[in-house]
Amino acid sequence: MSNQFDIDNVSKLASIELEETEKNKLSQDLSIILEHVQAISNLEFDISVDEVFIHPLEKQLNLQEDVVEEFLTHEEALSNAPESKDGKFIVPPSME
Amino acid sequence: MQYNPTIGIETHVELKTNSKMFCRCKVVDTEEPNVSLCPTCLGLPGALPVPNKKAIEFITLLALSTNCKITKQGMFHRKNYFYPDLPKNYQISQFDLPVGINGSLKIVLNDQEAEVAIERVHMEEDTGKSTHMGTGRIDSATSTALDFNRSGVPLVEIVTKPVLKTSLEAVAYIEELRQLVLDLGISEGKLEKGNLRFDANISVANSESDVLGTKVEIKNMNSLRSLERAIDYEIERQIKALNNGEIIAQETRHWDEGKEVTKPMRSKEGSADYRYFSDPDIPNMVLDEEFVNIIKSKMPKLPYQKRLELMQTGLSIGEANILSKSNDWIVKLFHDVYSTTKNSSSTYNWITGELQGQMRKVEINELPSWFKADSLSEIINLIESNKISFSSGKVILAALLVKNVTPYDVAKEQNLFQENDSEKILQIVKNVITENSEVVVRIKNGEDKLIGFLVGLIIKSSGGSINPSIAKDLLSKELEE
Amino acid sequence: MRIENKSIREINSLFQKKEIKPSELYKQVFENTAQSESVLHAHLKLFEEDNLNKVKLSDERYIKNKSLGLLDGIPIAIKDNINLKGYETTCSSKMLSNYISPYSATVINKLDEQQVLYTGKTNLDEFAMGSSTENSAYGLTRNPWNTECVPGGSSGGSAASVAARSSIAALGSDTGGSIRQPASFCGLVGFKPTYGTVSRFGLIAFASSLDQIGPITKYVDDTRIIYHSIRGFDPKDATSVSDKPVIIPSNKTAKVGVIKELMEEGVSEDAKNEVEKIIKLLKAQGIEVIEVSLPLIKLAISIYYLIAPAECSANLARFDGVRYGLRADGKTSYEMMERTRAQGFGSEVKRRILLGTYALSAGYFDAYYGKALLARKKMIDEFNQIFKQVDYLISPTTPTQAFKAGEKTSNPLEMYMSDLCTIPANLAGLPSISIPTGLSKEKLPLGVQIISKALTDDSLLDFSEMIEKEVAFKEEPSDWIK
Ligand SMILES: [Mg+2]
Ligand SMILES: [Zn+2]
Repeated sequence: MSNQFDIDNVSKLASIELEETEKNKLSQDLSIILEHVQAISNLEFDISVDEVFIHPLEKQLNLQEDVVEEFLTHEEALSNAPESKDGKFIVPPSME
Repeated sequence: MQYNPTIGIETHVELKTNSKMFCRCKVVDTEEPNVSLCPTCLGLPGALPVPNKKAIEFITLLALSTNCKITKQGMFHRKNYFYPDLPKNYQISQFDLPVGINGSLKIVLNDQEAEVAIERVHMEEDTGKSTHMGTGRIDSATSTALDFNRSGVPLVEIVTKPVLKTSLEAVAYIEELRQLVLDLGISEGKLEKGNLRFDANISVANSESDVLGTKVEIKNMNSLRSLERAIDYEIERQIKALNNGEIIAQETRHWDEGKEVTKPMRSKEGSADYRYFSDPDIPNMVLDEEFVNIIKSKMPKLPYQKRLELMQTGLSIGEANILSKSNDWIVKLFHDVYSTTKNSSSTYNWITGELQGQMRKVEINELPSWFKADSLSEIINLIESNKISFSSGKVILAALLVKNVTPYDVAKEQNLFQENDSEKILQIVKNVITENSEVVVRIKNGEDKLIGFLVGLIIKSSGGSINPSIAKDLLSKELEE
Repeated sequence: MRIENKSIREINSLFQKKEIKPSELYKQVFENTAQSESVLHAHLKLFEEDNLNKVKLSDERYIKNKSLGLLDGIPIAIKDNINLKGYETTCSSKMLSNYISPYSATVINKLDEQQVLYTGKTNLDEFAMGSSTENSAYGLTRNPWNTECVPGGSSGGSAASVAARSSIAALGSDTGGSIRQPASFCGLVGFKPTYGTVSRFGLIAFASSLDQIGPITKYVDDTRIIYHSIRGFDPKDATSVSDKPVIIPSNKTAKVGVIKELMEEGVSEDAKNEVEKIIKLLKAQGIEVIEVSLPLIKLAISIYYLIAPAECSANLARFDGVRYGLRADGKTSYEMMERTRAQGFGSEVKRRILLGTYALSAGYFDAYYGKALLARKKMIDEFNQIFKQVDYLISPTTPTQAFKAGEKTSNPLEMYMSDLCTIPANLAGLPSISIPTGLSKEKLPLGVQIISKALTDDSLLDFSEMIEKEVAFKEEPSDWIK
């Protein structure tokens, strides 16, 4: 598999705007890293991803009871907001 | 050319838990923004999700009741996309190991039972709510306001296979699903509150082709009416386009409620690449046999089972379907009344027609405490045995809704019992004939409609207590002589 | 001996005997900081003034013989990726330059119960991504043994703080060696507990399946005391475990394996010599030491640099300028988010987010992230097999001693290699400790790493303490004194 790294697509997916010089440097770095990790993609294993436990100790999930707890006050929730109005967070329009 | 539409429905059902899906914040129904939040549902740095046991029980109930195969070892995945009302910029959802797969739901369509194939039932979390502010039109908003109260509320997504053919089938499916979640007690099921939200995937294909056409996703249908209209509109739009030789674009369209058209939604850059991967904050979830059996033991009567029971009383599938989607007390009342009347048709008519009509008139939502099923049975039985007239039955029912009395007392008090003794009625009939000899002559000369006039006089002279059909029979006999 | 050089148990006993007061120790560590901080830059924030009342109360408790335990009045530094309610948590990122956490991490709540005194928040590689504490938006931290060298990372500030006696102990976080490697570079004990035994709630996630909070201390016993006070099942962390500790032999009957793959090329002679030294010492005790092989360890760095970036690409998606932290201008929300993330993240963070995004993206998932998951699982199996033969595994903690600042910043892969020995324990969720064993010719500390099977943390600490006694490493850094 080639390491054609589509930096524009990846930065879009990651929602990070990149300048041209940054793009070149990052593409280069990432190609080197991908070259290194390539060894893994060529391996074959006798198990499938679905059989792998996500917890490294292969623990099962403990569920939580449906009990209400209070945590943040309204003021605490908005305390770090870059912009807010009438108790809501404000951002530039999200409908383009 | 002939085209066949194919429809698949994705429904999000908001579950009726006390706390949210991955934190213990209260699920609230309020206009006051940002009042039920914690680091987890606000996506603060360092916060972690812990799934809600009740929500998992609820989705398992739903998966079992739709005949799904339960995935023994389920997983939660992260669905990655950037949107300001999605606090973590990933939604915790389920991807290739959902709670249930390959199920079905029995529905009633055109007075027949049909089955809708279910592809999957999975668990996920809701997002926050965006309000686009500015000029009032979303496409010229100057800013967006965010309320995260809804963020993290548990949702179950139920996806049908692409098997539905018409908008009516889609509506019947949603009606059945809504009744199911109500009967399971897992959701408020209010469409107007967004407790059930549905998207439709629609494609049309040449009827000679065995591959499906290009799929178009329709969003923003807030009622059954808009679901029906949007589907009809979209099918027609696609057929027209195909007839014009156009190619259908795979896209997401938005149902414009006001203009009653579907419009393409401006797609977010690029095609969706959600980069699903198992959420490393949430270990694998094992739903073993023991757990499933406990859930099975909590299974209530399902809508199709209620329907079957009702049909065993002699109701048609259509009647049974309507009744099965009524409030629990109505279904129970039907069974209780039927057990003494043994007349499903009149029981059904009295309950779905007169009783609910009168209740609306006096503006009550539930029966008064003194109103017993036996009272309604008594009214029906009195009518059936000709002891009172149908209209007297209505009068008695009205009285029962406002005061604690028995049907017998009302009939007695208001003199509603009918005279069924032929001897006595014959005497009255004879008197009326004698007193109205010129009318009798006219009847004999062919003026048949005057018979009704005489029947009226007979009943009137008895003070209204005469059984009109007996009076009419006796009058006809007398006139023939 | 200066009191700040003593162990926590010794200090506590002096407190109890009223030979010294917590306020005196507190004053002393801040005097040390005053001397070193401008050179070392171990801390992002110091809490000296904030705690004066707390110190006084601690003094009073000891006077009344009502102290709250071994950690009452002990000054401890906290890595700045652990939330402390009411204080900034910056993760050394511009993204969170003025973010004030409205809640505390579970580990902080636990330390609060014992009235620990926080000295400050320590510097780190931005979002814990790095091995030298050079990737901090607020400037690098220097090694107290030689200020031209890095202290290691990402918990470099925590290690430098303890090494310079600015705090008695510190909390760090370890995703691929971020506690053990700086501890080794700074001549300290660094411990990464079994995954899940310490709650991650309130630790700003880098890679959720690998991250674990742990102590950096001068002595193994200090590590034990802190570990015991922060561990325990937390209902707020679904990955936290409630299992009881597992006990294995920690005396002469223990069996030790030397990891063959970590004694080969890529590891300096110095580092190997330290391991040989310890092996000799163990054998002298009558402990059996054998060579063992874990072939997949050779792939550990590759596995790690797919799994950690993949997880981080999602973990760091929440930093978008919407609800907190930096916000850049933008005509639309999307533009605002893209610019915020462009301005807020440093280049190493961007590199890992993009790498992880790529490894998860359509068409590449199976070849990269998916394969890494499988390889990880197989590596865990290898560990499980080996632990049927031996109780402990020994290796160098780091391939080299502390390197010079700027030496490895141009080639990311070279920097990544410095975690060669520590990464496997994170991938397998195993407890792992680095203990200082000696100094190199250049007078820089060297250490060895010991790994044991999951949940045997207590035995690992006992075993390490035995080695610690035998080694009797007593050196102190001096370069930090102006
Ligand atoms: Mg969904
Ligand atoms: Zn919450």
